[in-house]
Amino acid sequence: MAIGFFVVAMALAVTWFGRPHDEPASREKYPKGWPTPLSATIDKPQTWADSPVEAMVDKKGRSIVIPVVLGAGWVVLIGIAATVLGGGAALPALPGAVTIASLACLAYCLASQKLIHYYNLEYPLWALTVGLLIGNTVGVPGWLSRAPSGEFLIKTGLVIFGAEVLFGRLLELGLPGLMTSWLVTPVVLVGTYWFGVHVLRIPSRSLCMVLSADMSVCGVSAAIATAAACRAKKEELSLAIGLSLAFTVLMMVAMPPFIAWSGMDQIVGGAWIGGTIDATGAVVAAGESLGKEAGAVAATVKMIQNSMIGIIAFAVAVYWAGWVDRDMTAPQASLATEAWRRFPRFILGFLFISVAVSWLFSLGPAEALWVDGTTTGFTSRLRGWLFCTGFVCMGLQTNFRELAPVFASGRPLVLYVCGQALNLLLTFMMASLTFGWLFKKVVEP
Amino acid sequence: MTTTSVHRAAGRYSGLAWLVAGMTAIAFIWCVLFPRLLRCGPVASHVGLMEQRQVNPAAMYYTELDRLPLRPAWVADRVTLWPAPSLARSVSDW
Repeated sequence: MAIGFFVVAMALAVTWFGRPHDEPASREKYPKGWPTPLSATIDKPQTWADSPVEAMVDKKGRSIVIPVVLGAGWVVLIGIAATVLGGGAALPALPGAVTIASLACLAYCLASQKLIHYYNLEYPLWALTVGLLIGNTVGVPGWLSRAPSGEFLIKTGLVIFGAEVLFGRLLELGLPGLMTSWLVTPVVLVGTYWFGVHVLRIPSRSLCMVLSADMSVCGVSAAIATAAACRAKKEELSLAIGLSLAFTVLMMVAMPPFIAWSGMDQIVGGAWIGGTIDATGAVVAAGESLGKEAGAVAATVKMIQNSMIGIIAFAVAVYWAGWVDRDMTAPQASLATEAWRRFPRFILGFLFISVAVSWLFSLGPAEALWVDGTTTGFTSRLRGWLFCTGFVCMGLQTNFRELAPVFASGRPLVLYVCGQALNLLLTFMMASLTFGWLFKKVVEP
Repeated sequence: MTTTSVHRAAGRYSGLAWLVAGMTAIAFIWCVLFPRLLRCGPVASHVGLMEQRQVNPAAMYYTELDRLPLRPAWVADRVTLWPAPSLARSVSDW
C-alpha cells in the first residue's frame, strides 16, 4: 500500500512541476490533461497487423522500444522495492522479476494484434494464457518462484488504480445517468449474487460475487477489485474474466444492429449499451457503431459505472469481513475486532487515494487537467503493467486441473447468462424511462 | 541414473515439447491466421470504423480511451445535477 501511495504522490508531483504555463486550464488545448514528463518513461506495445515488430512503433511512426522497456522496468523496480521492504534480498528476486515483466510484454504483444484488440479480448486473458502455458508445461523453476507475487502486483495496481476512480465523474450525465447507474447496477449485483448463492447453490460465494460484479459494474477491472476484496481464488477470477470477455465480444457485435433494427432511439440505445456491456472499450466501440451521439452517451454512462468500483469494492470488503468470513462461534463483542482484522487494508488505500484525488479533481479546471494528465499519462499505464504482470504470475501458479472443477458444473455460465439477462432488462427499462421519457428533452442533441 | 531421475528428465523434455508446440501454434495463429482474417469483409469494416473514429475497444477503464468520454457537448450546457427548469419540461409534464 505504501508503494502505491508513493507512486501516486510522485506522479502528481512530477506532473505539477512539468505543468504547462500556457492556458493551463484549457480542456480544448489539453483534452487528456496536462502532458506529464513521466509518460516518456512508460508505454505498452501498440496495435499491429502482420508482424509483432510493428508493435514497437507508435501511431506517429516513432520507436517506443525505450518506453516499453522502461515500463517493464517500473514493474521490476516496484517488485524489488517490495522484496527489500519486506526484508528480502534484492538480487535473488531480480531474475524472476525481469522474466515476469518480459512475459507481461509478450502478453501485451499478443493482446495488441489488431483482430484481438478491436474485438476487445483484453490483455489479462493473454497474460493468463502465457502463464498457464509455461506453468503447465515446463513448470516454474526455483529462481522464478522468488519473483514478486502476482497478488502483491495486483493489489499495488489496485491502490494506484484509486487515482482513476473519480467520484465527480458520477455526475457527468446528471440525474438520468445517476438513475441508470445507481439504481440498476446495485440491484443487478445483489440480485445476481443472491441467485447464484441461493437458487443455483454455487458452493463458492466469492465466485458468485466476482461474476456478479464483473457483469453488473464494468468487466475485468471490477472483477479484479472485487476478487481482491472478497479474497476470491485465482481460478475464480480467471473464470470470471474469461466469461466476461466472451460475452463482451458477443454483445459488442450483436447490440448495435439489434438497436438499429428495432428502431430504438439512439440516445436510449447508447445508454442501454453503456449500462450493459461489461468492458469500457467495447461500450465505446458498440456505441460508436450506432452513431456519434449514442457513442458519447454510452461512454459517459459506462464512465459513471466505472466510478462506482471504489464504493462497490469497499462494500464487498465490509460484507465479507463482517458477515461471510466471520466466525459464528466467536463472542459478539469481538465481532467488530475480528471483522477489522480480516478487512483487506489495501481497499482502504484504494479508497483513500480515490477520495483524495477526487477532491483534487473537484478544485477547478486546472486541477482536473492535472489529475487527468497524471492518470492518463502515467498511473493508468503503470497500473496496466502491474495487472498484466500479476496475471502472468497467476497463470504460472495455476494448474489446469484446478480450473476443471470450476468450469465443470456449468453453473457459473448459467449465473452469468441469467444475471446479464436481468441487467439487459432493467437497464433497458431505466434507460427508456430516464433518457427516453423523463429527461428526453434534456439529453437529446 | 536412477529410475526417478530418468522419469524426471523425460517429464521435462515432454513439457518442453508441449511448450514449443504451444508457442508455435500461437505464432502461427497470430502471425498468419489473424492477419488473413483481418482482411475479411465484416472484420475489415469493423476494424476500419474503429480506426477511423479513433476508438480503443480494448480499454479496460475510461482513462485508457483515446478520447476521454467527457459529458457530450449538447448535455454540458443543460445538465448539472438536475436539469435546468426551462429544459425539464418532460419532468414537469410528468
